[in-house]
Amino acid sequence: MDFAWSDQQRELLDAVGRFATQQLNYDVIENDREGIFNHEAWKKCGDFGIQGLLVPTEYGGLGTDPLTTVAALERLGHGCKDNGLLFSINAHMWTAIIPLVYNGSEAQKKKYLPGLCNGTLIGGNAMSEPNSGSDAFSLATTAIKNGSRVHPQRQQIFVTNGPVADLLVVFATVDKTRGPDGISAFLVEKNSPGMNASRKLEKMGLRTSPMAEVFFENCEVPVENLLGKEGGGAFLFTRSMTWERGCILASAVGSMQRLLETCIRYANERKQGGQSIGKFQLVASKIVDMKLRVESSRHMLYHYAWLSGHRKSIYLEASMTKLHISDCWVKCCEDAIQIHGGYGYMTEYEVERELRDAIASKLYSGTSEIQRNIVASMLGL
Amino acid sequence: MKILVPFKSVPDPNDATVAGAAVSTPKSVINPFDEIAIEEALRIRERGEVSEVVGATIGPPAVDEQIRAALAMGVDRAIRIDDSRALDPYAVARILGALVEKEAPHVVIMGKQAVDDDSNQVGQMLAGLLGWPQATFVSKIEFLDKTRVRCTRETDAGLEVVEVNLPAIITTDLRLNEPRYVSLPGLMKARRKPIEILTCDQLGINVRPLTTVLSVARPPKRAAGTRVESVEELITKLKQEAKVL
Repeated sequence: MDFAWSDQQRELLDAVGRFATQQLNYDVIENDREGIFNHEAWKKCGDFGIQGLLVPTEYGGLGTDPLTTVAALERLGHGCKDNGLLFSINAHMWTAIIPLVYNGSEAQKKKYLPGLCNGTLIGGNAMSEPNSGSDAFSLATTAIKNGSRVHPQRQQIFVTNGPVADLLVVFATVDKTRGPDGISAFLVEKNSPGMNASRKLEKMGLRTSPMAEVFFENCEVPVENLLGKEGGGAFLFTRSMTWERGCILASAVGSMQRLLETCIRYANERKQGGQSIGKFQLVASKIVDMKLRVESSRHMLYHYAWLSGHRKSIYLEASMTKLHISDCWVKCCEDAIQIHGGYGYMTEYEVERELRDAIASKLYSGTSEIQRNIVASMLGL
Repeated sequence: MKILVPFKSVPDPNDATVAGAAVSTPKSVINPFDEIAIEEALRIRERGEVSEVVGATIGPPAVDEQIRAALAMGVDRAIRIDDSRALDPYAVARILGALVEKEAPHVVIMGKQAVDDDSNQVGQMLAGLLGWPQATFVSKIEFLDKTRVRCTRETDAGLEVVEVNLPAIITTDLRLNEPRYVSLPGLMKARRKPIEILTCDQLGINVRPLTTVLSVARPPKRAAGTRVESVEELITKLKQEAKVL
C-alpha cells in the first residue's frame, strides 16, 4: 500500500486548493438566500479543468484516475464554500458525463463532451418521478418510437440543474412489459420541442444548485440521441449511480476538513471563564469526534476510488462510502454549530448553511435507508 | 520574433503564515510583477505579434516549481541559470545580459521590481549593459510594427507615452493586466515542456554580488495616535513635538 501522492498529483491538488479558495467564494451568502446559481463560477471551474477531470484527453478532459479525481474534488470542497455549486458539478459529472464517456457513441462524445468539460454546457439527468424515487425502475415516463423520432411523455421531478441544463440524460420506458430491461436513456437538448423545465423548486439547502420539474409533452428526440443500447437504460443508470455514490461526497470530506479547521481556530480564540473553550473537555471531545469522522470518511473515499481505478468491484463500497460520509457530514455540521454556540446559528458565520446543505446528502443518490438495504443485501441478508 | 521574460521566485506575499508567525516557511511564488510580464508576453504571442515566449530565472532546483507555474501559464520553454547564491541586482543584470546575448530576443519584458527586496534596478541595469532602449513602469504595450513599440508609463506626474526601437527592455507596472489563472490542462502540458539548465560558466561570465545583506528586520511598530482638542493645539504639537512646521 502506498499512501503517498506523487509530485504530479500534489502539484495538481495544490492548484485545485488555491483555485477553489481564491476564485469561488464570492456572494455565497446572498446566492444561498436568493437561490441563485453562480454561472460565472461554473464557467471558471470548466476553464480550470474541474468538470473534465476524468474525461479522456481526446474529448477535452484531463483523463485523471478515480483516486486523483476524488482527491481533487475533496480539495475543491475544502476551498469552496458553495456546496450547491459543487453539487451541481457532481450531478453534471456523474449523471451526464459518465454515461456519455461509457455509453456514448463516438459522434455523441465528440459533440457533447468538450462543451461539458470546459463549462459551456451544463448537464444533468431526469430519472425521479412524483411516484418513483427509491424504486427508480418503476418509471412511468414512457417513450414512443415513431420512425426516426422518439417521444418521451409525462413528468419528471427533482431534476438537478434542470432550470439551467443544456443537456439532460432522460430515462424512459420504451417497453413496459420488459420491466427494467425496457428502460432506455436518451440525450435531450435544452429547447427540444415539447420539453419544458417548470418552476424552480425551493429547497432547505443546496439553494445555489437549481432544481426543476421537467415535463415532456409530445417531445421529440431524434433516434440517434439514444444513449447506449435500447433497453440498456437500467444498466447505464446503475453504473452512473455507482460512480455518483462513491464520488459525490468527496467534496463533503473537504467541507468537513474546513469545518474542523474553523472549529479548532474558534475553540482556541473564544475565551469563556478565563480559558479557551477548547480547554473544556466537552468541546475538545466534539472536535476529536470531528477529526475521526473526517479521517474515516477520507479513508473510505480513497479506498473506494482506489478499487474503482483498479477495476475491482465497487458496488458495496460505493454505498458504504456514501452512507458513512453523509452521516459524518451531518454530525460534523451539528457539532460545528454547537461549538460556535449562538454564533453558529447565525447566517454570517457560514456554519448553519453547511448543515442545511449536508442534510440532503442523506437523500440524494439513494437515501441512507436504500444504501443500508444495498449493504445488507451484499452481506447476504 | 521572440520575447524573453526573466522572473524571480519570491515568498508568497499572500501567505498568511508569513505575517506575524514565529516560525514559518512561506511558499514561493513567481514575483507578482513578473507574473504580469509573463501574462503580457503571452497576450502578445496570442495576438500573433511574436511567435515564442521564453521564460528565465536564476536559482537552485527548488525554483523549478515556479518555472513549471510559468510553463503552465503558457510560456513555451524555460531556462534556469543554476546559482543558489544571494545575488544583488547588478549580478542578476549581468547574468541576464549574457543570457540575452545567447538567446537574442527581440524584447525583454520583466517586472519593474521584485516584491521581496523592492530594488527596482535590474531592468534598468540590463538596458544599460546591453545598450538597449528601456521603458519602465509600463501600463500599456502596443506593437507599432516589427521595429517599434509604444509604451504607456505610469509616473508620479501622470501617464507618459514613449516609443522605443526594438530590441528593448520593458518593465511592467501593476495595472498592465491581470494574470490568468493556471489551469489543470495547463499544468499537464507544462510537464512536457523543456527546462534548460545553464550555469554562469556556460554563459561565459563570472559574477559575484557586490553587496552583502547583513540583517533583515521589521520596521518599528507605529505608536498609537493622539486626539487633539482644537486646531490651535494641533498647530502647537506639529511645531513643538513633530517639528514639521
